[in-house]
Amino acid sequence: MPACPDGHESAAADYCDVCGLSMAALATPSSPVAAPPTGPCPQCGAPGLGRFCEVCGFSESQPVVRTVAAPETSWTAIIHADRAYYESVLAGGGLDPSELPFPDGYPERRIPLTGDQLRIGRRSVSREVAPEIDLTGPPADPAISRLHAVLVAQPDGSWAVIDPGSENGTSVNGSEVLVGDSVPLHDGDSICVGAWTTITIVAGLCNP
Amino acid sequence: MSAPDFSVEIFQNEYLPVGAREVNAIVTVTSVDSVASNQPAASAAEIIIVDCSGSMHGAKIAQAREATCLAIDAIRDGVAFAIIEGTVDAVVVYPGKRLMAIADDRTRQEAKASARRLSAHGGTAIGQWLRLTRELLQARTDQLRHAILLTDGHNGEGRRRFEAEIARCEGVLRCDCRGVGTDWDVGELRKISTALLGTVDIVPDPAGLAADFEAMMQSSMAKQVADVELRVWTPRHATIRFVKQVAPTVEDLTGRRTQVTEQAGDYPTGAWAAGESRDYHVCMEVQPGVVGGPEMLAARVSLVHSTPDGPQTLGTGLVKAIWTDDEPLSTRISRQVAHYTGQAELAQAIQDGLEARRRGDDATARARLGRAVALAHESGNTDTASLLANVVDFVDTATGVVQLKAKVADADEMALDTRSSKTVRVKK
Repeated sequence: MPACPDGHESAAADYCDVCGLSMAALATPSSPVAAPPTGPCPQCGAPGLGRFCEVCGFSESQPVVRTVAAPETSWTAIIHADRAYYESVLAGGGLDPSELPFPDGYPERRIPLTGDQLRIGRRSVSREVAPEIDLTGPPADPAISRLHAVLVAQPDGSWAVIDPGSENGTSVNGSEVLVGDSVPLHDGDSICVGAWTTITIVAGLCNP
Repeated sequence: MSAPDFSVEIFQNEYLPVGAREVNAIVTVTSVDSVASNQPAASAAEIIIVDCSGSMHGAKIAQAREATCLAIDAIRDGVAFAIIEGTVDAVVVYPGKRLMAIADDRTRQEAKASARRLSAHGGTAIGQWLRLTRELLQARTDQLRHAILLTDGHNGEGRRRFEAEIARCEGVLRCDCRGVGTDWDVGELRKISTALLGTVDIVPDPAGLAADFEAMMQSSMAKQVADVELRVWTPRHATIRFVKQVAPTVEDLTGRRTQVTEQAGDYPTGAWAAGESRDYHVCMEVQPGVVGGPEMLAARVSLVHSTPDGPQTLGTGLVKAIWTDDEPLSTRISRQVAHYTGQAELAQAIQDGLEARRRGDDATARARLGRAVALAHESGNTDTASLLANVVDFVDTATGVVQLKAKVADADEMALDTRSSKTVRVKK
């Protein structure tokens, strides 16, 4: 009789009929966010087994720092203030231009996309939110939520965006992102958040 | 006999935050039309119980006779049936003695002639009616066993006796209950319909009985698979928080569990017609797993049908759990789970609100019925929203601000009470 990862003998071949653990888990990890529990360390490559790497101390419960393979495309987020988007928000009637004018100067920023996920939002000390893509400003776009959206690395090296429930919503190329949906991103896609902030995702761009 | 086909679909967010124990899933069970309709008809028995107490005098008994005749016409050839007259006692008015007839043209005509002679005299002892019904059915071996019970008044028996008779009927028969007029007790009939996996409703005007009886009998005749159980297997050290039917109505099945093995229990779902679809909400607590660890099966949900050759599994769905530190994944709430959590809260808010209103606690009644209005509108449950409109005036539907109506017709309040558990299905 086969045994599950915890060593129970199970008559069922899919999930252990004692503890419910997947019988296939050891051979093929099925969780997209999981580091493999066996094999070489995902961080340093040492042939360590178990929950912690004997060499670098990497724990399987921490996000893998993606060591980008040579042929893999690198992606960059370009953050800028977008007048066309601002005008469309005004046209929608959800904004008073006297209270929230389009910013005079907005330095364009470029952030390379690394790791497994990057949070988009505004820093909050009290709520202990420190998003990797920090849109606190100045100039401040107050229509952006503390945790507004998240960029998530896909298994094929591309990226997707998820809005976990922001106050004012997120759109990609003008179409609204439904809360909780994972929207795949392509080279040149624009993510709009807040009153004017636009994040354009480009592939194959070298970091400045 | 080959197994009828059921599809079991699971809707859930299997990703859980670190340390989380609660797993929720909506299980949609559908009996597949094309296959089930090829099944040979299961043997069936039908009993119509008519309240013949003195208060039924006049239009009520006259309409009850006509309604019974229409229901008799809807009984298929070959189905065993009987008509019971209910007073402080219970009497088989057709076919007589303690027997059941087999439906054909002749017996249907005879039964209708007997039904037309039903008259109002005497009291109300619903437990006695159920007892005779159960004994008639237990003397036979029909697979599908169903009764229609009509009353217009409060039960005259002691509560313990009444409840004991209901308990003895569990698993023996399904029972749909109807109250005619407004002098009956919603709580009493709901006890029967809940325990015996049937429906309960108000027929305020006796003229509505005929169509309702005919529809109930047709719906019962459509049932093809009897005694189906929802079997829930959980991992060791897991506990079930609740198992509820959430569509078409909310029925809490948690307390109806029959333990099958150390890790599995059965919840009754009654009989199924071809093409019928229902939703269940299962919620359990499991031992939290590790982030990046193997996927865990939090529940295996099967449909099990008992046959003379032993239990037969008609369909299975898997509820999973994966622990992750990826917040956007784990904070996502399944649309189906959210929708039915709201519908269950809606039913509870109405019952709490009406209870508070009867007690004279207007502040609580306003708050609870207001919450119900907001939930009904948010979820698009327009039937319930229009029933609520008969009891409260809406000030703001979105936030649930309401005013209690000064005068509410008894029939409107009872209709809201009996139909409060009806849900709308989640938009696909």
